[in-house]
Amino acid sequence: MNIKKQFKEGLITNNPVLVQLIGMCATMAITTTLFNGVGMGLSVLIILTCCNVVVSALRKIIPNEIRLAIFVVIIAGFVTIVDLLLQAFIPALSEALGVFIPLIVVNCIIIGRAEAFCQKNTVGASFFDGIFQGLGYTCVLIIMCVVRELLGSGRFGGGLIDIANGFRFTLDGTGGGIQIFPADYGASILNLPFGGFLTLGTLIAVMQYALKKAAKKKELAEKAAAEAAEKEVED
Amino acid sequence: MAANQETKERIVLDVAYQPQVRTIRDTRRLMQDVLIALLPALCVAVWQFGAKVLVTVAASVSSAVFFEWAYRKLLKKSNTIGDLSACLTGLLLALTLPPTAPWWLPVVGTLFAIVVVKQLYGGIGKNFLNPALAGRAFLLASYALIMGNFSVPTGLKGAVDGVTMATPLSYLYGENPLPAYFTPQALFIGTVPGAIGEISAAAILLGLVYLLVRKVISWRISVSFVGTAALLTLIFGRGGDHVNFMLYNVLSGGLLFGAVFMATDYATSPVTLNGQLLYGAGCGALTVLIRYFGGFPEGVTYAILIMNLCTWAIDKGFHRHQFGVTKEDIAAAKAAKKAAKEAAK
Amino acid sequence: MKKILKLTFILFLICAVTAGILGGVNELTYRRIDEQNRIKTVKAYSSVLPADAYDEIDFAAAGVPETINKVTIDKISKAANGSGYVVESTFSGAQGSITMACGVDNNLRCTGISIIKHSETSGLGANAASSSEVGVNFRAQFVGQDGGIALKKSGGEIDALSGATITSTAVTKAVAVAIEAVGMLG
Repeated sequence: MNIKKQFKEGLITNNPVLVQLIGMCATMAITTTLFNGVGMGLSVLIILTCCNVVVSALRKIIPNEIRLAIFVVIIAGFVTIVDLLLQAFIPALSEALGVFIPLIVVNCIIIGRAEAFCQKNTVGASFFDGIFQGLGYTCVLIIMCVVRELLGSGRFGGGLIDIANGFRFTLDGTGGGIQIFPADYGASILNLPFGGFLTLGTLIAVMQYALKKAAKKKELAEKAAAEAAEKEVED
Repeated sequence: MAANQETKERIVLDVAYQPQVRTIRDTRRLMQDVLIALLPALCVAVWQFGAKVLVTVAASVSSAVFFEWAYRKLLKKSNTIGDLSACLTGLLLALTLPPTAPWWLPVVGTLFAIVVVKQLYGGIGKNFLNPALAGRAFLLASYALIMGNFSVPTGLKGAVDGVTMATPLSYLYGENPLPAYFTPQALFIGTVPGAIGEISAAAILLGLVYLLVRKVISWRISVSFVGTAALLTLIFGRGGDHVNFMLYNVLSGGLLFGAVFMATDYATSPVTLNGQLLYGAGCGALTVLIRYFGGFPEGVTYAILIMNLCTWAIDKGFHRHQFGVTKEDIAAAKAAKKAAKEAAK
Repeated sequence: MKKILKLTFILFLICAVTAGILGGVNELTYRRIDEQNRIKTVKAYSSVLPADAYDEIDFAAAGVPETINKVTIDKISKAANGSGYVVESTFSGAQGSITMACGVDNNLRCTGISIIKHSETSGLGANAASSSEVGVNFRAQFVGQDGGIALKKSGGEIDALSGATITSTAVTKAVAVAIEAVGMLG
């Protein structure tokens, strides 16, 4: 397992949302402003990395029979910690994400990675797996937020960027974002759950198309190489 | 079962309703007929709302054809704009918009209708929702303000102040009493506010007659749709006069337009005859339910879309006869299956 | 048997450690969380009825029932400057319970509302609490309304949030209840 490969897997070839198709509920529910998307993505990234490290560190002493129960306890512990910290230090984000922070407990990405990866790998590999899978998740959230916000309300960076008094980032979620075209022209259905389904479906389709194309290209190249090698032998 | 097969070899063709007949009627001709059937409604619209509705129609039709062409071109698929189905989708969508709609509204609507609803699922015949209606639902949810802005028809100029007014249906299910100028006759002729194509019951019925004569659609869906809605509103009428209440319900709110032009779309309605009756009845019942208990007075759009989703199940539910298979054959097959099960036990 | 005991012990150990850590984090954060909630409450109160301080009163002793029309009254506070009362109540919205502060002046008119806590749908019902133009306009409508307050579709003057009739109805009802409760105080 090298880091470069893990990076590629987390962001592209084994992206949690677009390829593994897990953790989709929150993805569709909260991606209405960039503030929500970035906040949720980073929360999941932190929780995922912590859980990965702890689970892989304990993998030798966790009995197989009760591993799921233990995973859930560990995950719930970290989620509660992050929830409390957000309430204490970034109340705006805690308010915006509402119930979806506690719901990270049942987010398949975290238990899925614990089950599929951390059980069998070292602490170091699990740490990077957490970072890169979390980044992959965050990237998808950001793309969805940008698309839905732009098409739905004609805006970019809601909550996170404020241009009322010069360009600045607002970490308390008060920024109005950059209005690209009047909100009246935005197809506001994209702000509704339907928009989440539509955007996510389209993203998954594009991803699958790209992956398939890449695989085909690789196959062709390998075939050509094999043929060339064969020819050489014949010669 | 095995014994049966020995005596009677048969070929099961996995295609639609049998027997099939080969005719010169192709998609293009069917679409042409529907386009012609829509002309009376369009004429009434021009008479009542002026030539500006033609701008909406033109924007809608041309953008629909463009998106169909562009999508197929981009994905290197065969060019299908010749079958006129995109043209029809564009026209149908335009006729469900309010006359005040800005030109870009149908463009957004057809983008959703053609690309997302129709082409992403494989193009004509493979979509599971009626593209024009899905486009309208998309616009309804996105631009509720614009979609609820109905201009005063020529027939009511003078009787009504202002540029826009409420539709008969919103009075029927609202707080205020129905104004006197909304007579059933006005609804029949079309001197009422509403979406471009829905105002005149007479024009829509003219289209229906043309479609029936040309055998483009069968009577089943339209009649069971309107019949169910009429029956329900007659039984559970509101106000003193149940007959009038039923008439207003049937004649307004795009019910006839939906029943004749939208619910009868080939790809999204059942092919079995009993299935068509059930499908129409479902559309009618849902329309009435949405009007009675829903958040807004118009219910036809969502009723038909919901029934579109049920089409597959309805067709499954009604058994289709296989050509050349008798009732005795089916009974024998069933008995053999049962015997095999018993033996296995 | 031995195995079961071992499993139980390991699970217990992990639960105990997790609980210990959570206790620690709670110890570290609860003051700040309380402080944040207090700041939010004062902010919410001063935006609905301006005053420097608010004194909570024992409304049950004054004969106001705890629940009116399915709206639970949590607190009633009297503005120190005597301009009126702030009623904090909890009621069901579209997705979960909503906690709202509603200012009522001595003439039994609403002076403003502020949503303190909610879990409404982002982009729809959540607009009732948001600082966006839609949210501000929605809340501004309640200022000056009396006990007969109602949504437009029920013959009143309040425009519902688009796509969020349930939330709008709930908030409107809670305002009416707040006015009624203050009326009972006399």
